[in-house]
Amino acid sequence: MPAQIDHAAAASIDYDVLVVGSGVSGAIVARSLAEKGLRVLVVEAGPGDELSVADYESYLTRFYGAAAKDNNAAYEVNPNAPMPRSPDVRRLQPGHPDSTGYLIQNGPYEMDSTYTRVLGGTTMHWEGKALRMLPEDFEMRSRFGQGRDWPIGYDDLEPYYRQAEFELGVSADVADQAFYGITFPPGYEFPMHGLPKSYLDQIIARDLDGTEIQLHDTTCTLSVRPTAQARNGVPNAAYDDGLGFIPVGAVSTHQVDEGGRCQGNINCVPLCPVQAKYNARKTLAASLDTGRVDILTQTIASQVHVGADGLVSHIDYQSYGSTTSPEHVTGSLRARRYVLAANPVENARLLLASGLPGSNGLVGRNLMDHAYLLTWALLPEIAGTMRGSQCTSGIEDLRAGGFRERHAAMRVSIHNDGWAWPTGSPYTDLVELVDDANVYGAALRRGVVDRISRQLMLSFMVELMPETSNRITVDSRYIDAMGNLRPVLSYSLPEYTMDGVAASRRISRRIFQRLGAEDKTHYDPLDPGYVAYQGEGFVVRGGNHWAGTHMMGETSHDSVVDVNQRSWDHQNLYLVGPGSMPSIGTSNTTLTLAALSFKTAEHIAAELTTRPSVTIGG
Amino acid sequence: MTLRRIATVEDLHSYLHIAMQLEHATIPPYLTALYSMHPTTNADAYRVIRVVVVEEMLHLTLAANLLNAVGGTPDLSSEGFVPTYPAHLPDGETDFEVGTRAFSRETIETFLKIERPAVAEGETRFVSRERSSRALLPAVDAHEDDLHFYSIGEFYAEIGEGIRRLHEEMGDALFCGDPARQVGPEYYYSGGGAIVKVTDGASAAEAMRTISEQGEGLGGAIFDEEGELAHYYRFQQLLLGRYYQPGDQGGSPTGPPLDIDWDAVYPVKADAQLGDYAEPGELHDAIHAYSATYGEFLARLDEAFSGRPDLLMPAVGDMFRIKELATQIIRNPMPGQPGVNAAPVFRGLAPVEVS
Repeated sequence: MPAQIDHAAAASIDYDVLVVGSGVSGAIVARSLAEKGLRVLVVEAGPGDELSVADYESYLTRFYGAAAKDNNAAYEVNPNAPMPRSPDVRRLQPGHPDSTGYLIQNGPYEMDSTYTRVLGGTTMHWEGKALRMLPEDFEMRSRFGQGRDWPIGYDDLEPYYRQAEFELGVSADVADQAFYGITFPPGYEFPMHGLPKSYLDQIIARDLDGTEIQLHDTTCTLSVRPTAQARNGVPNAAYDDGLGFIPVGAVSTHQVDEGGRCQGNINCVPLCPVQAKYNARKTLAASLDTGRVDILTQTIASQVHVGADGLVSHIDYQSYGSTTSPEHVTGSLRARRYVLAANPVENARLLLASGLPGSNGLVGRNLMDHAYLLTWALLPEIAGTMRGSQCTSGIEDLRAGGFRERHAAMRVSIHNDGWAWPTGSPYTDLVELVDDANVYGAALRRGVVDRISRQLMLSFMVELMPETSNRITVDSRYIDAMGNLRPVLSYSLPEYTMDGVAASRRISRRIFQRLGAEDKTHYDPLDPGYVAYQGEGFVVRGGNHWAGTHMMGETSHDSVVDVNQRSWDHQNLYLVGPGSMPSIGTSNTTLTLAALSFKTAEHIAAELTTRPSVTIGG
Repeated sequence: MTLRRIATVEDLHSYLHIAMQLEHATIPPYLTALYSMHPTTNADAYRVIRVVVVEEMLHLTLAANLLNAVGGTPDLSSEGFVPTYPAHLPDGETDFEVGTRAFSRETIETFLKIERPAVAEGETRFVSRERSSRALLPAVDAHEDDLHFYSIGEFYAEIGEGIRRLHEEMGDALFCGDPARQVGPEYYYSGGGAIVKVTDGASAAEAMRTISEQGEGLGGAIFDEEGELAHYYRFQQLLLGRYYQPGDQGGSPTGPPLDIDWDAVYPVKADAQLGDYAEPGELHDAIHAYSATYGEFLARLDEAFSGRPDLLMPAVGDMFRIKELATQIIRNPMPGQPGVNAAPVFRGLAPVEVS
């Protein structure tokens, strides 16, 4: 265990804040509050023996040995706190929900997005892109008549973005990241310099930069730009007015002595072998150093109880000793404030399972995720594919503009890992060469290199607007090994998004044409995620960017939480994470949810550390 | 090999040359032990040794910074920079030999001797012994022949005192080196310990402190100021089968047990020489390719320490290549020697001996 604490001891301590979930949101809230002197208990449903290099490497070893290398392949199957896994997803028959995996797929669209239930949460498999949202993303309704506006804007969030960039250790150069309205305070520097562009990026940039794409009345001029990433690079001596930045290496509660900068290992997802990539365990380890944070793993928050006053009175937990047995003990935990930081699906699931759908019934609704369209081709020249971290550059020029009145915006990532995502390369290349082409020895080695080093894969991340019908529910027919209700997903891709998907495919054809690349993209109607739209078929993949089940807003009528992620219904309860986001634009959600976590921590700390004024009676 | 007390800047240069040679000389033995473990076994032992190797690289870089700071020129390509194993350490310790050998209790015992704590202060840090026939270094001006350091810690203590003495005599003129030749945190960092640019007395002392505390724990403490365990005690954990934790006394670790499998090791040839691979063939080619790659790596470091610190970035790729080539070699049995596997030879760029 990361801290010398057991459930009995935890029950006897007067915690200021109970945090459910040890992912990036919960870790940031815990660390921030503890640094302000508050006492925090974090409960994590999944396992995590200790915050050590050995524990981390046991995950790496499992991943290396796994036949199917999906993004949760590094983690053991745990029926007590199960998680969705992409290989579980099947093509749905209309009207027949699929309960094969933990997540019940009610359709009509089957979603292969996942999240990770281990200590450190989904940062234990994320890729590490750390993108700010565009200012216009916060004003979708007023600017484009789509979706919803946030109750706060980019400028309100900007200081918290900087905190998040420090916490996650972001490598980027301001000059590369100031686009489409994104601004930084004068003199701002990222903690570390931008990571170098891959050779592949440079080839694409050479042939693509300056290409114009017309999206309705918006002319988009493409350029290949380096991507801001939460992985260790060269520290920027000018950071923090010249104080510099010390990168955080490997997580360890003893003998901290490993971890490097990005070395270009290509398997960023799920785990960086040298811990150059941020994961929430880095923040958790720092939070333990305060001496005011305790962590209980294998502890499932099973029920939220609300008193007659509308406040949360306590949270029940189930604690299991082994992932191979459902045997467990139960108990209750109390604190002055409660923070649910278990990701949008689990936050909503826990509230709904506790009979708390919200006074307006919005808990679990407005679920969002990015829709991913993968397109792939073979370049006419050797491009060094498989070198570098997974993505070092992307195209930001399709993210902004008036066309967003008509269809979704998209962001393109250039994948240094070639066709890995759509086809399973390089493993599938190897199998084909051996089994079908019957080559071996030097010819096999040469063949693998020839096939892989020209691979180009562009992923189009397409935005999605909130719809109340896209939602998480619970259903008493579906329970897990501990008797907890499993999440049921009902989801369809709105036309606004599908128009963006169709445009993405057209743009990919233009790009491949410019590059002289042989388009190898094909979508199999039997694959999960296959969607026919306007006469064309696409396989649309989930982005693992769950958002929106407890959306924030200005009033309690049309939202679940306020600008501080405080529940309108229960004033001592906070629902934190991407579930609070009213829109996700075309940015991976982590940096924004990290920024929101800092904002919420600041608010809770102010509430709990300010003494109420005392009126002396006369 | 002989050394006299540091009296001049030239003496200091010689000492720092030896320091670089010394820090490097430990790396091939540590790497050989590391690479000899069967993949995925001995995870705890692998990590313990790996951490020490990484810190030796840090010390090598710190020694280069110190040498550059006082106007010297690092030279990793000179003849004899890479010792022929088995060898005595370049600081003059002659009561044990260091070799490139498989991971075993005996090998770890040797590592303990390499990292043994300093025992003495002042004059007694020299012990009088017969001059070794395996002396590695071009002799430094010999005034006090047959004086040797008991430990690496004692050797560094003498450098630290030498810098202080010269700084008092010469003032800041001692630090006449070009600051552009200093390697800073932008081009070097690892989990353990920080690189220090050496430009004055304070930064020189800081660099010296990192080197001696991480290594041998000068002063008798098993943990240093940053709470880091000294190398000697890191290795000792492998023999005692248990991790140290804060509060422990040397010799009595009370932390969690280490999982060690002394048998999950390739029986690599001890102290392999190029002459062991005289027969033409794939193994011969692989050994020579390895040695050449290692030499190119050292040449890259040479350049990096001569005003091109950015070259430490491609050096990371070199290190991947070195590991890959070494592990390929180690999987192969030695022809005609049942029960013995091939081992890489670390020669560097200096002319190679033919036996």
